[in-house]
Amino acid sequence: MKNILKIFMRDLKTARRDSMALIIIIMPIVLAIGITLFTPGLADTTVNLALLKNDDPAHIQYMENFAKVELFDTRQDAIARVQKRDDVAAVIRKDKSYEIILQGNEPNMVENYAASLSALYETGQTIEASNVTLYSFGQSTSPIKTMLVNMLISMTIMLAGMLIAISIVGEKADNTINAVNVTPVSQTEFVLGKTLLGGFIALVSIIIALLITGYDDINWLMILLVGVSSMALSLIIGFLMGLMSDDVIEAATNVKMIMLPVAGSILGYELLAANWQWTMYWSPFYWAYKANQLVLSKTADWPSVLLSTGMVLLLTLLVYFAAKPKIRKGLS
Amino acid sequence: MISVKNLSHSYGNDRKLAVKNISFEVENGETFGFLGPSGAGKSTTQGILTGLLKLQKGDVSVAGYDISRVHNERFNTIGVSFEQSNVYSKLTAKENLQFYAKLFDVPTRDPMELIHLVGLLGKENDLAGTFSKGMKHRLTFARSMINNPELWFLDEPTTGLDPAIAANIKDIIKEKTTAGTTAFLTTHNMFIADELCDRVAFIIDGEIVLIDTPSSLKLQYGQKLVVITYLKDDQVVKETLKTTDEKDRLRIGEVVNLYEVQTMHTKEATLEEIFIQVTGRGLV
Repeated sequence: MKNILKIFMRDLKTARRDSMALIIIIMPIVLAIGITLFTPGLADTTVNLALLKNDDPAHIQYMENFAKVELFDTRQDAIARVQKRDDVAAVIRKDKSYEIILQGNEPNMVENYAASLSALYETGQTIEASNVTLYSFGQSTSPIKTMLVNMLISMTIMLAGMLIAISIVGEKADNTINAVNVTPVSQTEFVLGKTLLGGFIALVSIIIALLITGYDDINWLMILLVGVSSMALSLIIGFLMGLMSDDVIEAATNVKMIMLPVAGSILGYELLAANWQWTMYWSPFYWAYKANQLVLSKTADWPSVLLSTGMVLLLTLLVYFAAKPKIRKGLS
Repeated sequence: MISVKNLSHSYGNDRKLAVKNISFEVENGETFGFLGPSGAGKSTTQGILTGLLKLQKGDVSVAGYDISRVHNERFNTIGVSFEQSNVYSKLTAKENLQFYAKLFDVPTRDPMELIHLVGLLGKENDLAGTFSKGMKHRLTFARSMINNPELWFLDEPTTGLDPAIAANIKDIIKEKTTAGTTAFLTTHNMFIADELCDRVAFIIDGEIVLIDTPSSLKLQYGQKLVVITYLKDDQVVKETLKTTDEKDRLRIGEVVNLYEVQTMHTKEATLEEIFIQVTGRGLV
């Protein structure tokens, strides 16, 4: 354990002096901030309405219950607002009724929603008068945000592999693997020390990213279990790519190639019909993404998480046995 | 300290052996030179002895450990100076030595003392990646001493160094071997071997053709020579004559009597000349 930590600490020091490694470390956090800033806009389905200040206060109050209302002094001001880039419908009194003014390129939903609200108001309908019963599954997170954060986790795990690949390429360029091989440090300790670098940084990045994006109330044990199991594969790939590459650019290109099955697995999970999902069962990235999706949307239970992580580990084990001879040879 | 019996090694599955059934022993405190041209099998043998290459055939014991089994702790008593410098370019000279010092389970030397010893004082906080080839080589050499090794593998320790630094490195090696460190020196530089080694082995095409002390080899194979330059018909003529040959001795007298001698030096056979004489091959 002592030697593993020494290798890890050295790699951490070197990573801090490597611009590409620094980018890899910082990127997930920057993307997490980006998701936090942009997803409220993406997920927001509130309809914007432009009303006149001199409108009936009861009408204004009614509309404010169901839409975001902006008030204007004149009809011209309201029309000018409608003609701006975003989707706003002006609802302006005309005679005893209201007219709805649109730019014309708004989604149908905006037009229908404004018209329906006006109709309900004119007929004096309220929610209290309705006989509708409301059921909710209690999901409080936006599905788009969950998908983006899940993608970010997948990407962070792949970046951990890239970090390992860069570290191995550095060792190869400096010809230092032989120098460590003539010390009491065993090859296993060397591999684990390097693994710790990628694993530690990826886990820390994932935790920070989840906190930034507001997923602080998820089951952390589940997310860490999925993270660690899917990271094992990424780290094996990182070792393999590092040993197969002669420089950092080649290593980065090789690891990026692995992004294809990752992206394919995500698309498969998101777009394939339920009866075709089995076609993705070969991919450990699919299982990891699926498990993360359940955990992030707070619908996960232990049997489903354990099944997914079990599949990830099983498939990783197959990759490991296939790659083991090359890794051993490369480190000798 | 080192015992090698019937060692053979092949890099491929073919029958071409890089090392062919060699045997030798290195005693405690001895400086043993392993000499031969490029591709002779020197580095392969050293690679097996240091554990960097897997033992395929033969019995090899190093520092009391059977190397067919994994004993990582044996490296606590072994130091290896590589021919190609191999230091972390993104760490400073001092950080490089500090890192390696931490990897051993035995008391280690002060990195700054070693930096001073190899003439890198003032450069200890510079990244090794900014070093010249010679400076990296010195740092690699310094690192090989970090654990106070009892057995020291030196692969071409002065190659690529300027004469003053090479002399410094030679002095350090002499000092350590005099203090009792066993050294296994791999080189194709016969002058260094002559100066540092108690015994030398000549290896060529993977086979050891001879093992002896440099002085014994000179007695056995060397010839005392006299190199004379003299003026003959306004031309400078150079002749190398053996003092052990009756005909050559008469010729020396003849030259001295008949011509104007410009220079006359006695010359002892070098290890290189003996190597060529024994193996019929040069050292390139």
